[in-house]
Amino acid sequence: MSSAQAPARFSELATVKKGLHLEWRIAALRNGFLDATAYRLEFLLEVVGAAFVPAAIQWVLWYALFKIGGQESIGGFSYHQMLAYTFTSILFTQVRGGDHDFELMEMIRGGSLSNYLLRPAGVVEFVYMRGLAPKLFIAGVSLTIGIMASFFTDAVSGPRMIAAVGLAIMGNIIHYQIGSIIATLAFYWEEAYAVLMVKNMVVQLLCGELLPLSLFPANWEWVWKSTPFYLYVYGPTQYALGRWSNAEFVQAVGIASLWIIGLGILVHWSWRLSIKRYLSLGG
Amino acid sequence: MSKTAPIISVKNVRRVFRSPQKAEGFKSTIGLLLNPKFTEHVALKEVSFTIEPGSFVGLIGANGAGKTTLLKILAGLIPPSSGEASVMGLKPFDRTMEFRHTISLVMGQKAQLWWDLPAVDAFDLLKAIYEIPEAKYRERLDTLSELLDVKRLLQTQIRRLSLGERMKMELIGALLHWPKVIFLDEPTIGLDGLAAEKLRDFLKTFNQKEKATIILTSHNMDDIERLCSRVLILKTGEMIFDGAPSKLTREGECRLRVRLKEAFKVEELAALTGAPVASISVEGATPDGEGAANTTAESSSGSAEGASGDDSDGEAKVLTYYFETTKDSVLKVLQPLMTKATILDMGIEEQSLESVIQRIYSEGSVRPGAHV
Repeated sequence: MSSAQAPARFSELATVKKGLHLEWRIAALRNGFLDATAYRLEFLLEVVGAAFVPAAIQWVLWYALFKIGGQESIGGFSYHQMLAYTFTSILFTQVRGGDHDFELMEMIRGGSLSNYLLRPAGVVEFVYMRGLAPKLFIAGVSLTIGIMASFFTDAVSGPRMIAAVGLAIMGNIIHYQIGSIIATLAFYWEEAYAVLMVKNMVVQLLCGELLPLSLFPANWEWVWKSTPFYLYVYGPTQYALGRWSNAEFVQAVGIASLWIIGLGILVHWSWRLSIKRYLSLGG
Repeated sequence: MSKTAPIISVKNVRRVFRSPQKAEGFKSTIGLLLNPKFTEHVALKEVSFTIEPGSFVGLIGANGAGKTTLLKILAGLIPPSSGEASVMGLKPFDRTMEFRHTISLVMGQKAQLWWDLPAVDAFDLLKAIYEIPEAKYRERLDTLSELLDVKRLLQTQIRRLSLGERMKMELIGALLHWPKVIFLDEPTIGLDGLAAEKLRDFLKTFNQKEKATIILTSHNMDDIERLCSRVLILKTGEMIFDGAPSKLTREGECRLRVRLKEAFKVEELAALTGAPVASISVEGATPDGEGAANTTAESSSGSAEGASGDDSDGEAKVLTYYFETTKDSVLKVLQPLMTKATILDMGIEEQSLESVIQRIYSEGSVRPGAHV
């Protein structure tokens, strides 16, 4: 590239960023990351604690069943396969959605939504971008750990890990979309905490972070397959561990895309209808 | 838009809030679950007015008068139940991108900045949201932070700033995009006298220099008196006054202050001078006769006697009496007073906006002929 071409390229890039309104999204991501990591030790402890405490509990459980109980295999998983599932799924559990739907609900309830409604940026997306930054950082760390692990064990594949993190990020978007639709209940009831809590409990059970979904009875398969939750953790883990074929993975990405489009429309309409009930309390 | 066309127009705006009612006790809690009862509260009753571009308008009223509700409707946060509101020819509740780019709302009690980040990070985000060119952003940030004297604090975490400094940062955040219409809801709340004065100076300069239309609500009459050329007064959702602050005081109206050696009941002074009881107030006595306070006629009928010129230590206590009167009637009050009392000190004061507003709040009316 000649020196004269370089500024022109930068100018083109700036135009594209402006046209796609990327600048505020990038700035929201940056501030979201700075905000989440303002207290670095707290952030690290939260991530490490959230990852390793459940992993330790599951390890003890599988050890008891396989080594003390003498089981050879459970649902087609050997002891080592189960541990590989547990440790890989933990990486994707860290990427799955946070509690920003609760934040939205609290903003509606307490009236602080007013601060964002008047900015020329969509409030639902703004809150998402702000909360996404630390998740993207964690996704990067998970990816690095996964790729490093692929050098030492055949259980995980590096390229598959990269694709699986992509699917987990799609799951993160779906999780927030569902939460932001539920949060609109606060426009009507002033509170949506219980519904969001129930949603989170169902997600924990059906996303595959507690145990592989293939352990469910075969005739229950329709239950978890009829929700998008398996795309958050179970799907990415299965693909990263080579238990899903490329075709199954592509199908999962297609399903995730359909969920994102459908839920995107629902988010738009639920907020458009509900905002009329907003009371902007306080102040 | 022509130069004289109103920038804000409000026509018969009414806003009703519906809320569940719960009496005390367990039974009513169960009742609320099974058969909730709602009451309707009319926050605004058919309010109409227009505002010209570049105006600085004060919106005042007692708590619950409907000021903030009106601001929220004009800023597009909530829709009116009926009637029409328009800002720059746009319907506020549509909140079009054009509308959001040109207005700003500052609520003294609602923080918009990021608690754990320095203000400059939040301003950078606002620059991106409002698509402010870098050079303009730098120029505006310099101007605003210098005017408000917070330049040295831009890199400090918001949570470490004082209330006044935070309020100034909020104001910078609200003005970075150079809005044409600014709604300020009690911007000087919690500020000390000096900080409030600086903020007022700044708002005045911004209004005059940038020709921005500003609507301000405040319980601080200094804000209104020093900044606003026009005042709108709301009382329980109704507009009871619309005009210049100077029109709130009657021609020739004043306040006669007299310090008397003897203590009198307000009724005695009214009988003696012929002044209405409601126009007399006493300073220096509380209803139980202790300490210094400013009491109105209603609460002080027994207080002057209660004080009876003695404080708790038994020493003589001199009370100050105020007569709301006119310059022409001052002598009529003083002459009979001098026959029965010893006047230690006296003076004639202009009526303060504060006292006029207090009178309007309590009486619920303004003088006949005031522009409503």
